[in-house]
Amino acid sequence: MEGKKKIALSRHALILGGLAVVLLVLIIVFFTGGTGEKVKRFIDANVPNPPESGGAEPASKTVTLFFLADDDDLLHKETRVITAGPTVADEAERALAELIRGSEKGFVSPLPPPTKVRQIFVANNGLATVDFSREIAEGFAYGSTSELAAVYAVVDTLVFNFPAVKRVVILVEGVEKETLGGHVDLTRAFLPDYSLVAK
Amino acid sequence: MIGALAAALFVFAPVPLARAGQTAGQAARIQTVVIDPGHGGMEVGAKGKFGNLEKDITLAISLKLKALIERNLGLSVVLTRDRDVDVTNENRAAIANNHKAGLFISIHANGAVQRKAGGSETFFLSLNATDEETRRLAYLENNSTELQTRIDPSTDDDLMMILWDMAQTVYIKQSSRLAELVQEELDAMLGTRNRGIKQAPFKVLTGVACPAILVEAAFISNPDEEQKLASAAFQARVAEAIYRGLVRYIRAVE
Repeated sequence: MEGKKKIALSRHALILGGLAVVLLVLIIVFFTGGTGEKVKRFIDANVPNPPESGGAEPASKTVTLFFLADDDDLLHKETRVITAGPTVADEAERALAELIRGSEKGFVSPLPPPTKVRQIFVANNGLATVDFSREIAEGFAYGSTSELAAVYAVVDTLVFNFPAVKRVVILVEGVEKETLGGHVDLTRAFLPDYSLVAK
Repeated sequence: MIGALAAALFVFAPVPLARAGQTAGQAARIQTVVIDPGHGGMEVGAKGKFGNLEKDITLAISLKLKALIERNLGLSVVLTRDRDVDVTNENRAAIANNHKAGLFISIHANGAVQRKAGGSETFFLSLNATDEETRRLAYLENNSTELQTRIDPSTDDDLMMILWDMAQTVYIKQSSRLAELVQEELDAMLGTRNRGIKQAPFKVLTGVACPAILVEAAFISNPDEEQKLASAAFQARVAEAIYRGLVRYIRAVE
């Protein structure tokens, strides 16, 4: 009797052990086998971006900035590498900081150099709100052309690089301003205007 | 926000009642032209290397244009400012609407970051239309003729404010035609580079309830053009060119 029981028990243990292994394999397959993409799609715009590379080195991302050339009125693309993540807003802030810092190829920045980005918020509906320091309005005596260039360099840079951004609102020192220099209406959200971009 | 709503209501509310009798479909005879000298007061606009300010040049050109229209066409002309004072963009539009303007001409001198940029161009309004606004515009365009007749006085205040805030959207086609004719004359008379007609979301144009354009006569940020802009002779040519474009437009519509 004793011996039979022992054999029955060890058989049970074997079956259970086998089931456990099968379950473990299934769990591993479930979590690694291609479900990641679906999970990522539900990530909110202000929640961390999926990291592009692991390891100790911070991930980087290439963005396209829009600058002015000396001899035409168009916006010219220039790429720049910025640190990636953790949020779209963080990356957007870095991209705009590079836009303000200026070109590495001799183009002209359409924004007054002392301008700072105070804050960026990206809502789930695609509306990015960018709050600039007062210098964006006071740093230049804008004409229509320079004011349009400043606004659309910002709007195009954000919408072009970040799919989570569809429209942009510009604030100055935390409040809605009618215009930067008397021309372009800042009280409505901007859609990008790539007609100002050089081909 | 509430302050802005109240201000906008104050600005736009009196107009629809005053113009409710206008007939649909048929262009009213233009009796009043409103000229808007860009900037003014603390708001100087663009600056030139030699110290010229956009606000002074726009006023000088506007006064010359006013004299031309009054002398030759016998129309009434209203300026949104006739001296060096601040006027908000909303008030500029309100002045036009309250005087039942038939045409609105905003006069500016351009400025660019690059010194070399030059030439003259004429703008009319572009809409930063979001989906919601596009739907509302489609509704407006499909539901009859002149904006004034559409806004029932019993419409609730918020909606009325929104409609008046977009008053210009109904006149985009006429504004584009006016811009074209004025730009042709600028090109013929000024000898500056022809930058053509363009659309931009300019604040001063959004609330104007008649054909409206914004003229950018040469660049004050370009030293050569700044010197031209500062001369009375060039200012007179700008006024004459705008006047000729305006006459062609009036003949075409009346």
